[in-house]
Amino acid sequence: MTEDEKKLALQDIAYIKEMVSQAKKDISHFGSGWIMMLWGIFCYIGVAGQRLFFTDGPIIGIWWTGLTVVTIFLTFMIARSHSQGASPKQLRSYARWFMIFWLPLLALAYTLCLFCVFLPDLSLAYISVFILLVISTGYIMLGLMFFRDILFMGLLGMIGTIITAIFFLEYNDIILGVLFGTGLIISGLVINQKWKSLNGRTSQP
Amino acid sequence: MDEHLSLKLDKVIHQKARLGIMSILSVKEEAEFNYLKTQMKLTDGNLSTHLSHLENSHYIRIKKIFVRKKPKTVCRLTEKGRKAFMEYIKNLEQIIGSVPQV
Repeated sequence: MTEDEKKLALQDIAYIKEMVSQAKKDISHFGSGWIMMLWGIFCYIGVAGQRLFFTDGPIIGIWWTGLTVVTIFLTFMIARSHSQGASPKQLRSYARWFMIFWLPLLALAYTLCLFCVFLPDLSLAYISVFILLVISTGYIMLGLMFFRDILFMGLLGMIGTIITAIFFLEYNDIILGVLFGTGLIISGLVINQKWKSLNGRTSQP
Repeated sequence: MDEHLSLKLDKVIHQKARLGIMSILSVKEEAEFNYLKTQMKLTDGNLSTHLSHLENSHYIRIKKIFVRKKPKTVCRLTEKGRKAFMEYIKNLEQIIGSVPQV
């Protein structure tokens, strides 16, 4: 076996690794940077609306629910526009995976919210605390499984939420809205930047 | 080391574009024509030729489907293709000596 043949074989292996790693990254992307930024904006708009326009009890719930529905729809649109490379089968398995991961966590968050509404000992102010603790847990789980950046954000979110709940409960909506909103927008920008440098092409919503 | 080891490399896979296609399909369950075209930076005609080559060797399966009334060409690795790809990597590793698994 000549040195040239060995060199060529090494080049082949390097090329296979590059293609495999690129394909794996493509599977995990699906516009996640833009989706994170969208949910960051959701936090800002939600808190601003709650503080400025929808300040009464039940209407706050309607405001957040309506905003959540709109944001989920926009998330779906972004994911769809970024999924051209994926086959329908892949999309189905991605959607199924997403639901398996997030739906139980969201169900837990809503159950905790219901406790806040129906249990007299629990203040309604804990609603956002519970939701964000559950979401932070989700990010930590995702971070441990896949992405280090998200793990950091989950830990930051959890610590921030706990500190806010203990010391600044009265202003929890503003503090947590800004914390999570900014965190999501920055994470989205970082993901998009990494993606752009990886591909040498512009990622668009 | 075996002098003829490089001759054992599968000629169908031993071509940069086809090796790239096989690598992508080994990770993704299925990949669309346009996706492969972008990733491999190939023209439609070039990619079609390589895909036909792989299909004729029964390494990939190509099917045309309709998604929201739009036609799409989807490729996937066959069992024979997966085995051939793994064999190809094994042969490369033998040539090199010891290389970590992909």
